[in-house]
Amino acid sequence: MMPTSPAKRPRPLSPNIQIYRPQLTSVLSIANRISGVVLSLGAVVLVIWLLAAAAGPEAYAVVQGALASWLGQVVLFGCTFAFFLHLCGGIRHLVWDMGYGYELSLIYASGWAVVAGSVALTVLAWIASLLLGD
Amino acid sequence: MMIIRSSDQVPRTTLLKRFPVPRNLGVGPESRIGRGKTWPALAGAVRVKAFEIYRYDPDSDDNPRLDTFEVDLDDCGPMVLDALIWIKNKVDPTLTFRRSCREGICGSCAMTMDGTNWLACTRFISDMAAPATVYPLANMRIIKDLVPDLTHVFAQYAMIEPWLQTRTPEPERERPQSPEERSRLDGYYECILCFCCTSGCPSHWWNGDRFLGPAALLQAYRWLADSRDEATGERLDILEDPFRLYRCHTILNCTRTCPKGLNPGKAIAEIKKMVLERRT
Ligand code: HEM
Ligand code: SF4
Ligand code: SF4
Ligand code: FES
Repeated sequence: MMPTSPAKRPRPLSPNIQIYRPQLTSVLSIANRISGVVLSLGAVVLVIWLLAAAAGPEAYAVVQGALASWLGQVVLFGCTFAFFLHLCGGIRHLVWDMGYGYELSLIYASGWAVVAGSVALTVLAWIASLLLGD
Repeated sequence: MMIIRSSDQVPRTTLLKRFPVPRNLGVGPESRIGRGKTWPALAGAVRVKAFEIYRYDPDSDDNPRLDTFEVDLDDCGPMVLDALIWIKNKVDPTLTFRRSCREGICGSCAMTMDGTNWLACTRFISDMAAPATVYPLANMRIIKDLVPDLTHVFAQYAMIEPWLQTRTPEPERERPQSPEERSRLDGYYECILCFCCTSGCPSHWWNGDRFLGPAALLQAYRWLADSRDEATGERLDILEDPFRLYRCHTILNCTRTCPKGLNPGKAIAEIKKMVLERRT
């Protein structure tokens, strides 16, 4: 609120994000948003890959080469993790939206399940792709 | 301690004490916090604990600052509020804070201690980090030291019209409520309006001008759930708004921090369900 005398400077705002403790609740929430943004960027990569595939073998080889590079693999790995994190977090949100899972112990249990589940699914997906792939 | 079962559990392990953001991220010039004074322990003190406390003096032109007080634990009660009272009595009488009941029922002494919101009178000093940090309730305009200006959050509370509203003619006697109907208010009527939840809600930090925040929304549900209230439709009309209700992103910092162990996140979900149900 503004001070009563207009000549006076505004009251200071007490710190919020600068001092508030990161908790599983807030960290997973921001992780869900960041992974959503990563997935949106990943979708652009997917479109490029599809366009290249449609454009012919040369363009496809260039994109495949980039994705097979060291950096490309890191990006793909990050996208995989973001996908599973967002998927698991999204399911958790949908359960909440139905009105379930609000007891504090369930909030924490489902939160850690999202962390463990998305790590496990990412590792499994990569093992599967390495075994099935070339 | 991976699973938190009750909001009074203080985290024992810490990966990150604060988010890795610049100290002055988005902080206006009037809100920058400077380094303050150190008030050393009094002579003869044996068990000493340092408290870093946010200070702001509206009668000076100075910015807020962080003072360090060395508190003699053998001369002081067990709670953070006891430490504040000890400092005020023994070291610096200008230290300003709100308190009344000193037993967790008036909601006056809510503040941000070691980075989470709680009541100073029910937080043990022994649960505090070394040094302990004490800030006023997060994201509030500060009147002085640990006293936040609650005008805005109380205006948001007034917006949900927190009183019984009836349309049917006044009955001869009281409006009765069965024990089962009464029990639907459990977990909501106990709210002491300390605003720990609203102050700890990141959505309220960024959109607090229009998002009502968990305290006002839990109270809104308390009246929606009341079997005697007859203004359900009007109440939902007030709430059904992209900002007032729907800026809640189910972060659930509110439920994690409520010092009365209430569940604002669940109350908000129930409101969202009611809005949806009346549409279909
Ligand atoms: C690959 C495709 C996807 C993309 C590009 C994507 C992108 C996004 C973005 C940008 C957000 C906004 C983040 C925020 O507001 O915090 C979001 C939110 C959300 N997503 Fe996704 N998403 C995808 C897949 C999914 C899937 C498969 C699910 C379901 C399991 C899902 C469930 C959700 C939910 C529930 C939210 C809302 C979270 C909230 O209320 O804060 N998403 N998504
Ligand atoms: S659940 Fe909603 S009200 Fe509670 S902290 Fe999260 S965003 Fe804020
Ligand atoms: S819901 Fe809990 S934290 Fe929020 S104002 Fe009420 S008592 Fe305080
Ligand atoms: S002094 Fe009343 S709640 Fe702490």
